[in-house]
Amino acid sequence: MSGHSQQETGFIRAALGHPAFLAGLLLTALFVAAALVSFVWTPFDPEKMQIAAKLKGPSTEHWFGTDHFGRDVFSMLMVGARVSIAVAFVAVGIGIGFGVPLGLYAAANRNSLIDEIVMRGNDLIFAFPSLLLAILITAVFGPGAINAIIAIGIFNIPVFARLSRGAALSLWTREFILAARVAGKGAARISVEHILPNLMNLLIVQGTIQFSLAVLAEAGLAYVGLGAQPPTPSWGRMLAEAQTFISLAPHMALFPGLAIVLTVLGLNLLGDGLRDLHDPRIRRSRG
Amino acid sequence: MSVLSVRNLALSIGGTPILHDVDLSVEAGEILGVVGESGSGKSLTALSIMQLLPRSAKWAGEIEVAGNSIGAMNEKALCKMRGRDVAMIFQEPMTALNPVHTIGHQIAETILIHNECSRAQASERAAALMHRVGLDPKKISPDRYPHELSGGQRQRVAIAMAIALRPKLLIADEPTTALDVTTQAQILDLLRNLVKQDRMGMIFITHDLAVISNLADKIAVMRHGEVVEAGPTDTVFREMRHDYTRALFSASAHVPKREAHINADGEPVLAVDEVVREYARPRKSLFQASRPFRAVDSVTLKIRPGENVGLVGESGCGKSTLARAILALDRLQGGKILLNGRVFSQAGAGPDMRQRAGVQVVFQDPYGSFNPRHTVRRLVAEPLYLIENAPAGAEREAKITRALEEVGLQASDADKYIHEFSGGQRQRIAIARALIIEPSLIVLDEAVSALDVSIRAQILDLLASLSTRLGVSYLFISHDLSVVRSITDRVMVMREGRIVEEGTTEEVFLAPKHAYTKMLIAATPVLKAPAEA
Amino acid sequence: MTLYLLRRLLALMLTLIAASIVVFLVTEIIPGDPASFMMGINADPQAVAALRSELGLDQPLVTRYLAWVIGMVQGDFGLSYTYKVPVSELVGDRILISLPLTLYALLLSTLIAFPAGVVAAARRNTAADFAVIGATQLGVAIPNFWFAMLLVLAFAVNLQWFSAGGFPGWDAGFLEAMKALTLPAIALALPQASILARVMRSSLLDTLDEDFVRTARAKGLTRSQTLWRHALRNALIPVLTIVGLQFSFLLAGGIIIENVFYLPGLGRLVFQAITQRDLIVVRSVIILLVFAVVAVTFLVDIAYAVADPRLRRRAR
Repeated sequence: MSGHSQQETGFIRAALGHPAFLAGLLLTALFVAAALVSFVWTPFDPEKMQIAAKLKGPSTEHWFGTDHFGRDVFSMLMVGARVSIAVAFVAVGIGIGFGVPLGLYAAANRNSLIDEIVMRGNDLIFAFPSLLLAILITAVFGPGAINAIIAIGIFNIPVFARLSRGAALSLWTREFILAARVAGKGAARISVEHILPNLMNLLIVQGTIQFSLAVLAEAGLAYVGLGAQPPTPSWGRMLAEAQTFISLAPHMALFPGLAIVLTVLGLNLLGDGLRDLHDPRIRRSRG
Repeated sequence: MSVLSVRNLALSIGGTPILHDVDLSVEAGEILGVVGESGSGKSLTALSIMQLLPRSAKWAGEIEVAGNSIGAMNEKALCKMRGRDVAMIFQEPMTALNPVHTIGHQIAETILIHNECSRAQASERAAALMHRVGLDPKKISPDRYPHELSGGQRQRVAIAMAIALRPKLLIADEPTTALDVTTQAQILDLLRNLVKQDRMGMIFITHDLAVISNLADKIAVMRHGEVVEAGPTDTVFREMRHDYTRALFSASAHVPKREAHINADGEPVLAVDEVVREYARPRKSLFQASRPFRAVDSVTLKIRPGENVGLVGESGCGKSTLARAILALDRLQGGKILLNGRVFSQAGAGPDMRQRAGVQVVFQDPYGSFNPRHTVRRLVAEPLYLIENAPAGAEREAKITRALEEVGLQASDADKYIHEFSGGQRQRIAIARALIIEPSLIVLDEAVSALDVSIRAQILDLLASLSTRLGVSYLFISHDLSVVRSITDRVMVMREGRIVEEGTTEEVFLAPKHAYTKMLIAATPVLKAPAEA
Repeated sequence: MTLYLLRRLLALMLTLIAASIVVFLVTEIIPGDPASFMMGINADPQAVAALRSELGLDQPLVTRYLAWVIGMVQGDFGLSYTYKVPVSELVGDRILISLPLTLYALLLSTLIAFPAGVVAAARRNTAADFAVIGATQLGVAIPNFWFAMLLVLAFAVNLQWFSAGGFPGWDAGFLEAMKALTLPAIALALPQASILARVMRSSLLDTLDEDFVRTARAKGLTRSQTLWRHALRNALIPVLTIVGLQFSFLLAGGIIIENVFYLPGLGRLVFQAITQRDLIVVRSVIILLVFAVVAVTFLVDIAYAVADPRLRRRAR
């Protein structure tokens, strides 16, 4: 397995020479860590109200200040990271879990009825601006984190279906796939054995980008009240509540916003970095 | 005064040295052939003269075009020089033209950029130029877009753009490599005449010694960024002072040793019976389906045990479609295909998987033929999937080792990944993969076309010896007549989906009967033997 | 060209029909009976039943769907359950805010993104390029509603150049109305402009790597001539797709941004309608927005055909 380990050490060396990728990795790790630590420790109870200490600016006690109920903003952000990350993770998971098999199946049976149905289904979902889907789903089931997950997840399915179908279609014309067919392998086996592994880089990169979009979408839904419901802290709702006090306590709007920006920025840098590192042209010119 | 003189040209890209001590000169009306294998630096020499190098490139030395030193020119002067004094045509006619502009516009642009003449005058001159390169503007309107033209027509447009301002020097970088032989012959004639009429100097870059031997007045042989031998064409071919020139020459004309051992009475390994392959064409109107395009039209052929059969034809003649049909990669619309006397695939039914092990394939592209994520062991062993009770453990390992050793590789190569091998080695691995289940027929679809001549000679030797030792039959599909001639017993000529001529290889090449075969053979450049030169 | 456009039109019509069925079915399964909601909790069951039949709620599903679709085609969107006025009237007022806002933002996004993308690609690996890359990297990470709040803080609260929200109505004069839409449009446009600029840059860089660009340079065109005459139009083809998609994003984003600026647009209408179970309004607004997205998709298809001659294969 010398080939693999060589490829891997090459990857690590290239990664170390790519500052944007490292910055992305660091930011992403930071927020994942914050979310994990919040399960066992937060500076204050994020749901505990202390009206006496409301709307306080940042201090040594409350690092990011307090909100209009006197809750600790920093603790709320930590717990909010949990919601953001969980919603985005599951939503992208739904997108990959349904989208990739659909795309692979459509590519293996191109121009068939199934292919046509998958593609038209994609068009249908793309015709609804993502928020409208969320509104529709919320109208049925009422607001909540689960609905946010479903709404964002549904929107991710066509993204991955289209991506994997397109990439698989071009792989199907490659000679190594023809060789596998000459070796008697069927479409399903080829899809799993040859197509899927060669889509991995693409899926990882797109997955990171969709993850960051999902974080943004979750924040947007929570902001208009369609996301996680109180008392669960969520970045989007913190911003909605901050709006009323924007001139009085701008820190309430500043920190949740920065948390979103840095998370999304980190994920985007990570995704771009992964794409660069997997692009042999760029990798060579760097090395 | 020379139209071009290059002295001591050295070039490095991103710190890696590419060219050193390159000396070239071209006089007016003279054709210089630059010949070399891939990586010899011949294209980068051309781009150095044009000053169209990548940004990380650094060059040194002296380049003079029509007496003017390029090193002393700024970008503005260089832009004035390009297209007016020096023009260039490239290899790939499919991508060399801008898809969103009409061809007339693109030809006229060369004139408009350099002259102060009016748009109307430029279009008029563009039409005249089209006429000059053999595109009748009455038949092929200047308002057409590149995608509406064939490859040969596009290359004519590219030539019209290049000669628009009667440049002193024309650089042609493999301009006919992507074209069919008959088109290649026409384009070569056109270039030869243009050079004569306009008294241009021309640098003709190619990997093909046969093409250059019939075209160039003098030759420069390049290898690893150096000119190893240069001089008048006849002298170079006669003397061949450098070892590399000799090696290149013998590889180009290489005929592998082999002995025919055809079993004429045995059951044919392959019988193709009235096979039809049709493609759906895009609709012309919403309500009426177009008639399908018949790529393979009632083809019948047989291959006997041990026989090497060639299938030649130009692009679009249906030879690759036929190969795919024989491999049962596509469904047939008519006829049937038998392997060793048993039906493998027929119209209206899928392939009989039990017969699949009878035929294997080697494709053209040594880089695209392997899953980059699998080890060579897994790649080579893939066809074992076809065998019921596939061998496992030591038996499987022994088979893999034997297949690798058959093709001149080692058992230890099984643990490597495909990116660790060169193009020629990859083609060996592809052959090992085809051999491992001991098929009676191997389809070689342009299997040596992507290789440099020296590597190609080695692979041809390997194929010949395998056929002799193992008695396997080949269907050798190629556009390259000389290669087919060197390795086959019998040859078939395909055109527009039909086989127009068939016979023993020597018969067909020495006394072609069909007009198309005659034309193909006449158009194929022949490398003159040194004694004749 | 006509064949290509006809096929696209057909596909989009099918999408629209499928979308209307989805919207109809989903709003059908929404819990809660609009009739009892309208009459209040203590309403007389008989009166509720009467209202149900008046609203056509006792008809079979297919009949109700067809009645809804046919009504819409004739411009009759039905009667709002809560406001008791024709939905077309309600929507008509609101759409005059939402649509101009979206188009305003699309215009801004394009005007910012194109030059930025072109400059970055033309001066690859220079300070200008890195500035564009950095700014857009930040831009795509900023949630538009948060950016809107920052804009309010800076330009309405502190500098007081704009009002913090509300809409004076188009009667107050075009400039006044546009001024009220300016901060929301900027908030919507900047994140999308970042995406568009990145797409523009990478598409242009890809095109600059093409063979025909080298051909153009060999003809004697300067770098910038090559960029403007040869690369740009080819690079625009993938960018068009993104511009089309942005319309959809901006429309959706507008629904959120209206909340920040208290604009009485479609977004606020739809949120009110959901809480009031005013299904007919929810349904109509959503289908209108889907229609807008589909219509823009078709416009993009036409633009494609104009930009790329390979799509308008002439009949020979």
